[in-house]
Amino acid sequence: MAGRRAALKAVDWAAFAERVPPNQRAMFNALKTRNDALTARLAALPEKPPAIDWAFYKANVAKAGMVDEFQKKFSALKVPEPVDTQTAKIDAQEKETAESTAEYIQASKARIAQYEQELQKLKSMIPFEQMTYEDLSEAFPETKLNKEKYPYWPHKSIADL
Amino acid sequence: MLSRLVLRAAPAALRALPPPVAVGVLHTTRTLHTTQQSLAPVPPLPEKGGEVRHGLIPEEFFQFLYPKTGVTGPYMLGTGLLLYLLSKEIYVVNHETAAAACILTVIVYAIKKFGPDVAAFADKLNEEKMATALAMKNEAVQSLQTAIEDEKKEQWRAEGRSYLFDAKRNNVAMLLEANYRERLLMVYNEVKKRLDYQVAMQTLKRQKEQDHMIQWVERNVVQSITPQQQKESIAKCILDLKALSKSAHAAV
Repeated sequence: MAGRRAALKAVDWAAFAERVPPNQRAMFNALKTRNDALTARLAALPEKPPAIDWAFYKANVAKAGMVDEFQKKFSALKVPEPVDTQTAKIDAQEKETAESTAEYIQASKARIAQYEQELQKLKSMIPFEQMTYEDLSEAFPETKLNKEKYPYWPHKSIADL
Repeated sequence: MLSRLVLRAAPAALRALPPPVAVGVLHTTRTLHTTQQSLAPVPPLPEKGGEVRHGLIPEEFFQFLYPKTGVTGPYMLGTGLLLYLLSKEIYVVNHETAAAACILTVIVYAIKKFGPDVAAFADKLNEEKMATALAMKNEAVQSLQTAIEDEKKEQWRAEGRSYLFDAKRNNVAMLLEANYRERLLMVYNEVKKRLDYQVAMQTLKRQKEQDHMIQWVERNVVQSITPQQQKESIAKCILDLKALSKSAHAAV
């Protein structure tokens, strides 16, 4: 009887809720309501049904052997446990997400490194008061005037003025 | 004669001047390109140019002459030079001189009057440019920092996925458990229903039998009371009543 039950792991809903990003709130709420409904349903059911008072029935039922038959069949009856088809899928899902999360975190770290680099560059820039136009073009390459393409002042297309 | 002496002495004096003063513009002495390694990072260019007196003559000249001739030295030199140029007619006074004098007066007056305002205006323009550039830079720094923060937050969020799967597994386990219990309960209920049905049937049957029997007995008894018996029993009842009433009267 005890073998069928996978121990219910305590889920810290508060911590879980913190980690949910705002665009997935609805899904989280649905999951939570389902969980609550199931918990309530489970709590309402007794763990074992009450025992049948065979002595009483044996004394009172006139048909010979009926109670005995019932008792024999009842104790011999094995209620089949429901088959667990989903846990394997969930485990597979978990593995998948572990991989994709690892990838995402990698990419995220790369992005952070890039941002940090740019931040470093910006922070170590000389102040604008001390810059010449040459220094500006070095620090912000997009401001560099293209003297080959536009040899005459203002060295950029008139539309960009 | 003395003038020729001065003219001849001047180049020699100029050659004797040390190089830094000849550079002129910079306020401090700075040796450039003297060593292999140049100063890096290059220190910023100075905001203002070298000091000048009367808008023309650099301060270094006065400092240079101070040890030998004191404070009035350069002025004496200037006055002497001017008088020499005028008296010897090396500079000839003509109508151009008058024009130059008037024009220069006007120019100097205008600069003295409006100079500071124009300078302030130009500075303001520059300030605005600087301010926009600085604002853009600050914004960029800010946005990068928030981007880094957000990325870190997303990483933290992604770490919480174990909660999701625990919750899902819990759901599945609870569902299975609930199902199993419901089945047990159903079995129990069905068996109990059948047994109770039997018991109820029996009690009902017995009750019906009892009722029927009682009725049958009553009916038969009523039937068996013949008219003769009825008269006898009524007479007996009347006698009993009389006796009872007598004893009742006596009691009262």
